[in-house]
Amino acid sequence: MSGVVAAGPTPTGLVSSEPATRAGKRDVWIVFWIVPAFYTAFGIIFVALTRVMPPPRPDVTTDQMAHFFHAHTATIQIGFGVLILIVGGAGVANGIVLYHMKRMSVGSVLAYAYMGSLAIGTLPGCLLVGFCFLTAVYRPDRDPRLLALLYDLGLLSYVGSLGCFTTAWFALAIAILYDKNQIFPKWLAYITIWQIVTEIMAVPVFVSKAGPFAWNGSIAFWEGTVIFGVWLVCLIVCLKKANECQPADEAPLP
Amino acid sequence: MTNTVAAAESDSRMVHMPGDGAMWVMVIGDLIIFGAYFIIFMVHRAMRPGVFLASQQHLNITIGVVNTLVLLASSWFIARSVQCTRAGEGDRALRLTYLGGLCGVLFIGIKAYEWSAKIAEGYALSGNEFFMFYYMLTGVHVFHVGLGLVILGVVVRELRNPRRRRVSMVESGATYWHMVDLLWVVIFALVYVMR
Amino acid sequence: MQILAEAEDLPKTANIKTQLISLWSVPVFGLILLIAFVAFPGFFPPMSPEMTADQVAAFYRDHTAMVWFSMITFNICGIMLLPMFMVIVVQMKRMGTQSHVFAYCYLTAAVSGATLFALSDIFYLVAAFRPDRSPELVQLLNDMAWMIFIAPVGAFVAMNLLLAAAIYFDSGPNPVFPRWVGHYAVATALAMAPAVGAAIFKTGPLAWNGVVSFWVRNGAFALFVVVMFFVLRAVLQRQAVEDGVAQ
Repeated sequence: MSGVVAAGPTPTGLVSSEPATRAGKRDVWIVFWIVPAFYTAFGIIFVALTRVMPPPRPDVTTDQMAHFFHAHTATIQIGFGVLILIVGGAGVANGIVLYHMKRMSVGSVLAYAYMGSLAIGTLPGCLLVGFCFLTAVYRPDRDPRLLALLYDLGLLSYVGSLGCFTTAWFALAIAILYDKNQIFPKWLAYITIWQIVTEIMAVPVFVSKAGPFAWNGSIAFWEGTVIFGVWLVCLIVCLKKANECQPADEAPLP
Repeated sequence: MTNTVAAAESDSRMVHMPGDGAMWVMVIGDLIIFGAYFIIFMVHRAMRPGVFLASQQHLNITIGVVNTLVLLASSWFIARSVQCTRAGEGDRALRLTYLGGLCGVLFIGIKAYEWSAKIAEGYALSGNEFFMFYYMLTGVHVFHVGLGLVILGVVVRELRNPRRRRVSMVESGATYWHMVDLLWVVIFALVYVMR
Repeated sequence: MQILAEAEDLPKTANIKTQLISLWSVPVFGLILLIAFVAFPGFFPPMSPEMTADQVAAFYRDHTAMVWFSMITFNICGIMLLPMFMVIVVQMKRMGTQSHVFAYCYLTAAVSGATLFALSDIFYLVAAFRPDRSPELVQLLNDMAWMIFIAPVGAFVAMNLLLAAAIYFDSGPNPVFPRWVGHYAVATALAMAPAVGAAIFKTGPLAWNGVVSFWVRNGAFALFVVVMFFVLRAVLQRQAVEDGVAQ
């Protein structure tokens, strides 16, 4: 449907006998498909390989933490090794949103805030746990108390990096609500606000070591992750729609 | 109630959905998210009923009741404001929206007082699981009240501009505000009252 | 600022409004951050680098609640100051007589500088997480927390020098910023630069609890944020009038 309708200034809207030319711009489509590809890899890395999602429990002994690292050394190294290589995909995923935000009618300040905040968040909120875990498994005979420190630092930073993302979500939500070019639908702004709610609910991870508000808790982790998954799917759907609705002959952004 | 009024007034067969679809996505989704929080609360309460009951005694139920009445009053003002907007009485709607917002501010003030009193008595976030639920549920709710005040501000701006005063905009704001009120009633029932 | 009723729906108006929202996050979150700063028990007076490991561990055990309150607040609210710096980027891009390269450099410097601030509070919070952690390890975390909080001034120094350069280059008939802002930015950069000493010294004014590295550095930064709030408000007012959006 949108393939035919949005494909630039065609003379008629009738269905032609040739296959409809893909709407939107080819380079934007290339970038788009990197987004689900990256997040699929991200999911495999964080869930299956490095065991950060769901995280191992905070309420364990030092020896149990050491055992966790010994048991998962190989997959941690493979998983985070690959992550370090492909983490540019996060930049791509943020970049395409930034691109579409700059096509909105609201000016660039919120697009820069979105991009900036997520760039900030990449270190404490994604890569730090990778390097903490890689360091922990690097020397198998490391003192368990040092392993415990890396365990805490990695997992608290991963689950507990809240502010960078909060700012990004605010910027995106406000931009969508003010935008008159209808780049993204308004309901995506409200779903983005749920993301802010999940950041608030993760505040107690620095305090609680067991129960629903610990870093592996049903509220602070699980519900937050489910909502993130929903948001991500919605974002990808909206990006696809934004690509399709973009005229192929739209001028490059200034 | 307001729905039937709207449906009766519309002259076509189509059912008039108040506000815009996007706001309903927000409201339904938020209710689901909070519903999950409430279920988790109930599960943990069932696991440790003694702790939860004992801790609950330390909550000031009078303040809870006052807050509930304040929010119910604000919802009443907002609902009346929607009716006035539909009837074309923009100025009256504006005043009612201000009153609703004022109640919202009052709610936040009372909540802040309640929290500081609890903390002074020694019941902080790190107390026990009940108090963690108490602070987090009321805290994220207060965040929603704050958002609601921003949304009411948008409604006020809409009503102050005689060239606009779109009914759907006011209805959207009211829908969100009623949701905030509904969430508080459930929180009050579960956290303060239920024995 | 009184937005004209006819201009409500124009893109130029949305541009102004989103910048205003970004700007107003400063007083709202700035106040919250200030409260969190004052509440942190290790800032008044600032903890000495010469504290023994046992003293550091005792500090975190005795003040856990306030460490939590202030550092969690830093965590969740700190980056909310970023939008104001993005307003500065947008305004730098309005300067007519230069290439805007300074604006893009400013943007990337702001991001890298804020990253370190986002990291610092995590170290304080990890230090407070387990009271039974070995005191040497708590001291290690505390050292990293302080160093990462105080010493990284390079990005902000660069940002201010870039802003000053852009202002000096903005020689057109209608400069975006008043010229004194450039001088003030340079002065702030100079005031904050010596704080790098916090990564090296354990005593004296350059240590992380010293007059220069702690009070001058943080005071200069806070003052800069406050001053730029008012400067940017005036700049936005002028932009709105020029764009025909307000009067």
